[in-house]
Amino acid sequence: MTYAKIIKQLKKLPGIIYGLVIIIAFFGVTADYFLTFMNMMNILKQASVLIVVSLGMTLAILLGKIDMSVGSTMSLVGVVTGICLHKGISIPLAICIGMAVGSIIGFINGYLIGYRKFDYWIVTFSNMGIAQSLALVITNGATIPGFDSSFRFLGDGQIYGVPVGILIAMAIALAIIYLSYNTKFGSNIYAVGGNEQVARYSGIDTSKVIFKTYILSSLLAGFAGILLVSKVNSANPIAGSGYEFDAIAATLIGGTPFDGGRGGVLGTIIGACIIATLRNGLNMLGLTPPIQFTLVGFIIILIIIFDVLNEKYKAKKGGAANEA
Amino acid sequence: MSDQIILQLKGISKQFPGVKALDNVSLDVRKGEVHVLLGENGAGKSTLMKILSGVYKKDSGKIFLDGKEVEINSVNDAENLGIGIIHQEFNLLPHRDIAQNIFLGKEPTKRGPLGVKVLDKATMYSKCNELLKTVGIDLDSRILVKDLGIAQKQMVEIAKALSLANLKILIMDEPTATLTKGEIDKLFSIIRKYKSMGISIIYISHRMEEIQVIGDRVTVLRDGKYIGTVPVKETPPSELIRMMVGREITNLYKRDYNEPGPEALKVCNLSSRGKFKDVNFSVRRGEIVGFYGLVGAGRTEVAKAIFGEDKYDAGEILINGKKVKHHMPSQAVQNKMGLLPEDRRDEGLITKMLLKQNVVQASLRKVFPKGILNNKVESQIATKYITKLNIATPDENVVVASLSGGNQQKVVLAKWLLTDSEVLIFDEPTRGIDVGAKAEIYELMNDLAKSGKAIMMISSDLPEVIGLSDRIYVMYQGKIVAEFSHENASQERIVNFAIGRGDTL
Ligand SMILES: Nc1ncnc2c1ncn2[C@@H]1O[C@H](COP(=O)(O)OP(=O)(O)OP(=O)(O)O)[C@@H](O)[C@H]1O
Ligand SMILES: [Mg+2]
Repeated sequence: MTYAKIIKQLKKLPGIIYGLVIIIAFFGVTADYFLTFMNMMNILKQASVLIVVSLGMTLAILLGKIDMSVGSTMSLVGVVTGICLHKGISIPLAICIGMAVGSIIGFINGYLIGYRKFDYWIVTFSNMGIAQSLALVITNGATIPGFDSSFRFLGDGQIYGVPVGILIAMAIALAIIYLSYNTKFGSNIYAVGGNEQVARYSGIDTSKVIFKTYILSSLLAGFAGILLVSKVNSANPIAGSGYEFDAIAATLIGGTPFDGGRGGVLGTIIGACIIATLRNGLNMLGLTPPIQFTLVGFIIILIIIFDVLNEKYKAKKGGAANEA
Repeated sequence: MSDQIILQLKGISKQFPGVKALDNVSLDVRKGEVHVLLGENGAGKSTLMKILSGVYKKDSGKIFLDGKEVEINSVNDAENLGIGIIHQEFNLLPHRDIAQNIFLGKEPTKRGPLGVKVLDKATMYSKCNELLKTVGIDLDSRILVKDLGIAQKQMVEIAKALSLANLKILIMDEPTATLTKGEIDKLFSIIRKYKSMGISIIYISHRMEEIQVIGDRVTVLRDGKYIGTVPVKETPPSELIRMMVGREITNLYKRDYNEPGPEALKVCNLSSRGKFKDVNFSVRRGEIVGFYGLVGAGRTEVAKAIFGEDKYDAGEILINGKKVKHHMPSQAVQNKMGLLPEDRRDEGLITKMLLKQNVVQASLRKVFPKGILNNKVESQIATKYITKLNIATPDENVVVASLSGGNQQKVVLAKWLLTDSEVLIFDEPTRGIDVGAKAEIYELMNDLAKSGKAIMMISSDLPEVIGLSDRIYVMYQGKIVAEFSHENASQERIVNFAIGRGDTL
């Protein structure tokens, strides 16, 4: 049942949630205005974009691979949607067009990696560059400013004081959680990431699983890009760059290691919240982005050390040789 | 068992780059029989079974099931036809639980929210529990596979193959290689049960004694070719061996016992919490010292601690009378120690690298003192060992992953022979190795001992332990519980100690 699975995952989470609490407490003490309602909502808005893109990254990492193209896919989808909106195309259609363009990136990733067995680093790195330069070319490098309030409602609006963006992100997150724990597709992602040969020998069409996962990842990245445009009220052709780093960080912090086949999206959501909080708090303390990157890196290492120690401890406790 | 033929393979051929793995092979399987497939390492047994189970595609030939020709193009095709397989190598996902592994790729589903197909976990876990009961494993289906012992993993593999709804043919590719006596008995009773239900079993094993116990008919393959099919009852093992290797093997265990030299390896009061305790033993030059025990008795753990792979809490290790402490295997190698691990695929070889690269792996410093590798030298050395150990391979430039199990083991052996180690630890040296190769490996071990090497041999193959060792230590639950010299070693007493019953004579 879903329930047991979620509970089980939740039981594994306290470590990270603890981290989140500590970070919030730290900034609450050190940064004025950090613990205000306004700022909390800000963090949630920021987190909502990161959560959506990180979900896709987590699926790629669960697959035992990675998707380096998510950041520039965000940028590309953002500017395409922005251009469409400025051309007077309706909001739903503009979003669809943007997402369609984004899914092409996923299609190429998925096809080359899944069916042609190309190296996933090379493919997603190349697409990272291709999507980025496309975004720059079609905008001539310029930012597309100012959108309708109805579009801005997505990323910036509120319902009873709760940001719409975070509600959307939560809905998507729930869907992805459900997908990964309760569907064959989700189970197949874990199988391919755990051991591709085992998956194949069990009759799973591994190529198709890889293909679908990369498309899903780019769709999620594309939607995150649209949320971002809506939130900041401008479509910048490099707005998404750096998000791949944060998405990987959120995944790792959330307990999904690079080797694939274990971990899950639930942890990633908290990981994304930690990063959003961290960035916001460090900004308030007046620390520049380069230093923020250092600190995020540092925290990942801390969490991994904690994780390794924890595993070792567990191994020691139950270490007796087992014989049936 | 009836004479009705349920499965027929006709003229199957399969070519791999540089190897004709199967050359016009045919096989008839009767309903409800245990059909043993026998052949040396690399004979093509696994390849034939992978074709039957949809993992590989055949180049030519026909497959008939129940008299009708069938096309098997994928694993799903085979499963739909009722053909299940337990592969030679583990096929489990360590981080998923037992039920997820057993139902991998064929999870039960139901209609979920919005009419989408979702996993029916309730059904999956209850079906799994049932299945585990039939197989006779007392385990919770939610336990992660990584937390299981080797034998338990194998039982899960068996349950996985039995989970097919309309099972007709069950293929078992060396299912007992990792099982102990008791578990093998359990497996055999499962086989008999399924047999009585009319299910046919194709059984691959290198253990000749098993064939007598469980087999009905035997088909022998050699070098990818069909040699013949004979009934077990009317064929003496020596005849089977002759069919299989093309020559007579009279004395499998050949051992020249000499007066051993000084102590090369001495272990005093070695302890590691939860793994083993107060282990004391020694191995002298020219000796083969056998370690017998159940899987999980702590033998491998002791070996790994000596080799510097695992830490230990207390005790001393002496090599040639000098105290050593290995923090990592590289130090052990420098002290002229070698370890042939039980899990050759994960620990003994870099399977993605070439045969020749694997052979020189542990001797780079010796072979290339200047630190610059030389392709030609690598090839020369590897070729020498291919001949010496009779490794079945097209040449030295193949990736090790493509070799058959037994030949992979020979590559590990070559690697350590090249290092000139003085103390060698063999952990299950002949697991999954055919009789012909076994005889060759035993002869090599005998030669190594004669040339003054000290050999510690961990093995779950009792005839091998008794037939080869100067002395035998028996381990039980992390402790050495008995020591025998080869003169007074008795199969029965050793087993009694190994299962914790002590000397009940
Ligand atoms: N995927 C592959 N690519 C290339 N060659 C292969 C591949 N699989 C098997 N071979 C080769 O085909 C031959 C038959 O191998 P196979 O694994 O069927 O032997 P086997 O009879 O099962 O041996 P063992 O008893 O050692 O398991 C061997 O020479 C092996 O090297
Ligand atoms: Mg085989």
